[in-house]
Amino acid sequence: MANNYEFTPEDLKEIETIKAKFPEVMPATLPTLWVAQRRFGHVEPEVQHLVAETLDLPVSHVHGVATFYTQYYKEKMGKYVLDVCTTTSCQLCGGYDMLHYLENKLGIKAGETTKDGMFSIQSVECLGACGYAPMMQITNDVYVNNLTEEKLDDVIESLKADKMPEFESVGMPQHTERS
Amino acid sequence: MSFDWKSYTPVIIPDIPNLHEIDVYTKNGGYDSLKKVLSNDWDSEKVINEVKAANIRGRGGAGFNAGLKWSFMPKPDGGPRYLACNGDESEPGTFKDRKIFEYNPHLFIEGALIAAYAMQCSAIYVYIRGEYYSWIKMMEKALKDAYDKGFIGKNILGSGFDVEFHVTGGAGAYICGEETSMLESLEGKRGYPRVKPPFPAQKGLWGRPTTINNIETLACVPLVIKNGADWFSGIGAETHPGPVLYGISGHVNRPGVYELPTGMPVLTLIEEVAGGMRNGKKLKGLIPGGSSTPILRGDTLEGVNMDADSLREAGSMMGTAGMIVMDEDTDMVEMLWRISHFYHHESCGQCTPCREGTGWLEKILLKIRNGDGEIRDLELLIDLCSQMEGRTICALADAAAWPVRYTIDRFRDEFEARCKKSTYALA
Amino acid sequence: MPEIFIDGKRYEFEGKPKLLQFILDNGKEVPFFCYHPEMSAPANCRQCYVKVGTPVQNRETGEYELDENGERVIRWFPKMQTSCSMEMTDGMVVHTQETSEEVARAQKDTMELILINHPLDCPICDQAGECPLQIQTYKYGPEGSRFEVKKVHKPKRVELGPRVTLDAERCINCTRCVRFTEEISETYQLTIASRGDKNYPITAPGMEFDDPYSLNTVDICPVGALTSTDFRFKARVWEMNQTPSIDITGGKGTNVDLWTRDNLVLRLTPRYNENVNTHWMPDEARMAYTKFNENRISRPSIKADGDNQIKTSWNNAIETFAEKLEAVKPADVLVLGSAHASVEENYALMKTFSTWGVNDFYFSPDVKEGFGDDFLLTDDQAPNTKGVKALGFSETSAEDLKAAIKSAKVVVLLNDELVDRGVLDSEDLKKPYVISLATNETETSKSTDLVIPITCIAEHAASYVNVEGRIQRSLPAKETKYTHRKLDLEMSEGRLDRYGTNFDNWVNEDNKVDCTPTWELMNNLGKRLGLSIQFGTSREIMDEIASSNSSFEGVSYEKMDDENGIQLTGMNKEEVSA
Repeated sequence: MANNYEFTPEDLKEIETIKAKFPEVMPATLPTLWVAQRRFGHVEPEVQHLVAETLDLPVSHVHGVATFYTQYYKEKMGKYVLDVCTTTSCQLCGGYDMLHYLENKLGIKAGETTKDGMFSIQSVECLGACGYAPMMQITNDVYVNNLTEEKLDDVIESLKADKMPEFESVGMPQHTERS
Repeated sequence: MSFDWKSYTPVIIPDIPNLHEIDVYTKNGGYDSLKKVLSNDWDSEKVINEVKAANIRGRGGAGFNAGLKWSFMPKPDGGPRYLACNGDESEPGTFKDRKIFEYNPHLFIEGALIAAYAMQCSAIYVYIRGEYYSWIKMMEKALKDAYDKGFIGKNILGSGFDVEFHVTGGAGAYICGEETSMLESLEGKRGYPRVKPPFPAQKGLWGRPTTINNIETLACVPLVIKNGADWFSGIGAETHPGPVLYGISGHVNRPGVYELPTGMPVLTLIEEVAGGMRNGKKLKGLIPGGSSTPILRGDTLEGVNMDADSLREAGSMMGTAGMIVMDEDTDMVEMLWRISHFYHHESCGQCTPCREGTGWLEKILLKIRNGDGEIRDLELLIDLCSQMEGRTICALADAAAWPVRYTIDRFRDEFEARCKKSTYALA
Repeated sequence: MPEIFIDGKRYEFEGKPKLLQFILDNGKEVPFFCYHPEMSAPANCRQCYVKVGTPVQNRETGEYELDENGERVIRWFPKMQTSCSMEMTDGMVVHTQETSEEVARAQKDTMELILINHPLDCPICDQAGECPLQIQTYKYGPEGSRFEVKKVHKPKRVELGPRVTLDAERCINCTRCVRFTEEISETYQLTIASRGDKNYPITAPGMEFDDPYSLNTVDICPVGALTSTDFRFKARVWEMNQTPSIDITGGKGTNVDLWTRDNLVLRLTPRYNENVNTHWMPDEARMAYTKFNENRISRPSIKADGDNQIKTSWNNAIETFAEKLEAVKPADVLVLGSAHASVEENYALMKTFSTWGVNDFYFSPDVKEGFGDDFLLTDDQAPNTKGVKALGFSETSAEDLKAAIKSAKVVVLLNDELVDRGVLDSEDLKKPYVISLATNETETSKSTDLVIPITCIAEHAASYVNVEGRIQRSLPAKETKYTHRKLDLEMSEGRLDRYGTNFDNWVNEDNKVDCTPTWELMNNLGKRLGLSIQFGTSREIMDEIASSNSSFEGVSYEKMDDENGIQLTGMNKEEVSA
């Protein structure tokens, strides 16, 4: 398969570091797919081939892994992927309202990408931020907690200006109480 | 229980600013427990016995005595042995281990090192769910610092004990919280749970003896070494002792992670600790330990405590202590459908009953939710649960079945009200 | 010896067998899908459930605890166990579906779940009739369906590769095909993609499933998810007869079954032989069936004017054959045996001509260096090289052969495509009078002066010695113009022979080839030449060979049938490599 993708020397160095963690090469599959996705924005078939070649593993293996895990984008996505959690705690606290608000705001449905390629929306399963529901994750990176319509407006505005929200450290209520 | 929760001083995540920094951690007595086991007459057996006596029951959900688990490792044969730390934390309602990664990573690292010493492991892997990208970065930083200070690596603190410690991440799969599935994922494969036996202690990572522990479980270990097994087992519920991280979410005023002893009265946790029900609503239901644990009706929680025995008596389980609180406005049909959707989405697809059953459950619940269900569908749902429970390699099928079985059982009237009279016709 | 009690019956066992295999080996049955004796047991279909218990032993004395009736106290496993992955232990007590309602119920439960997303398309599915899912559903499945919601949809009619077609909706995710490419053929061309009820086996994007053993996945697929692109929709399995035979495309002697309908061979599938090919067969060997049906030489033909061959009568063919021989001295006749023909054919040829006076017999080996793969493909492209050698035919090189042909006046060539496979040019056959005994029309047969059609492996019972020195035999699967399936005792009976009418599946006379076994041809020739030879059936010929040639000592059809082939002494595997 002709391949239009190539790892940079830095990527290859990172992949070597990853490989060194394990006694075999196969365990490097998931982390290397991550390196690839962070580099190319997705792990489309050609990228899967690149990962397989780089690690000298069967492509079918890489394909099986890439399709098992939901965070790998098997097709091109928007520049910012808004993963809105709608599982139980978020569902109870208005996760679907947030999802629908976003859908209306951006004019796309969950699973779709805006025409300008800026945003994709996904309804995703529990992200492990149940106490800060409703919440979302942006492109497998920062969590945005305690969503409100206003907060979503702000986030979209800053993303349009290519500014990722900062990591929010949510403290322990027990600590804040005393301090 | 007359326990004054406000006077409790957290020990897993104590209120010390910047404790995640290694210098702050060591200044506050960090890594002393590791030094203790490495420098004194603490041999492997002594560590295991101490941890066993403390009765740290696994905080990942199964509640198995951690020290006992360690003792299942076979005698060293010169080959590699592994400790795999489970930071997958993906059971809905659970968001506690990330607090350790963020606020007290070195306590966990120290605990894992002590565990590795006790079991004579050659390497430690901590597997963190892929969504926790920010927390993976934090752990990488913490591990690097610990390496730099000589707490990890060759000849740790001059003791002759060598161990490597690596972080690796998942990529979006609930099933990888199941211990053998996590091993498969760590090995770079699709997260299919393994058939047991052989158990991981015999054949784990790369076919070598491996023990898997939850992050919070390991974070308790340095505390046990420092303060003694008696101290630990004297905290909280007798049969399920120790401090525990309660994750409280849902319709409460102050959701979050709280560190308190086990055995806390459920109602105290909801009404006092978490600030009571939102908007003064009534409590309708509680999922006590992550979404797979059977839901309890709000009107049956008087006298129920958060420990294995009390919750079993009440008809549920401790799980991960991730409590999901629901108020009187909660639509139980909608809520249950969403849980079923989750398990359907997350089934790995390996075993027939789970692969097929989770989807069928969701589709029937969707039908009921949409007003097209019939009473007989409820019987079918319960029947399907029996066809799934205990019939698969791992417990995901059980985890998917229990919420269905118990939510219908405990809120039957609500489900029946949503079902229409049968209009089934062959046309 | 350790003991186990299955459905109340006591069995003894050795080692650490797995329960399901032990149950099957003892002639009992438990339904299953994902298990395959030659591959790892993932225990994922959850069909082979049994109830298992172990006797309670006193910790100190090690003695079994007994109840008030003196029976052993059994501690039952709290959950039902998959017998495929269950290791047997001494004193274990097992209940299958035969003696446990609970087990029968569990198996039915699994079957119901397997079926909910499986299409109800047996009437148009190629697997119907030989489908483990269909069979076991009839035996152990639920009577009806309670599934009234939408089925999952997946890709259909996917060409996985040149030979295998996938219908992902029929797949039950047993992973046998994936495990085959990982554990048996080691090409790693397949994986399960996606997750949960959306998953199915597939190649990596842009990759073909061109594994040289790919069609084995069709054989082991327990449903109609993987089908043979070549065989799809050609015939219903219940309309076909199944006849044991041997692969003739290589030296391995892979055991096969020929599937026939209306006197045509429609497909080849592997037949289990633990000493040769176990369950497997190379894809290449599967296509050999076309040679049994197509381009067959029917009736003798003879060169009339110039290079044109025209059909002639059997009488004329024998007469011409004899006349050509009588016109020359035996020393002027070159007799070529063939590693592509059976032991019996070569023997009949050799005996006839040595009786007539020929002293030297040759054959041209058919070896492709580097073609073999240490599995089922061999460098040797012929099925009977060892056999023809053991009969006394001498190997000859292409050069020597050309020289010998040049100096001969008459050449007799037993079924070997010497021109087609590049040993000879058709020009080489111009000078002498060449008589070929052949099954198929080829460049070789076209280059000869007299072509006499002989039976192929699908039409006769005959033996072949593989590269490891193992002699194995075929059975006739097709009738010729002169055989009758009811009269030929070597012919196997199909379902329709036994239960149908004579006219159900053997209707087309056109599919019967006008040919004769080599030994019958030799009988006719011998009679015409006045030789004192008389060959009986191939069975009798083999008895004759066994009593006269020490390499074949002790060989008989009975023994070959009983033992699934016989390893000839002095021809073991080690010697072969040379």
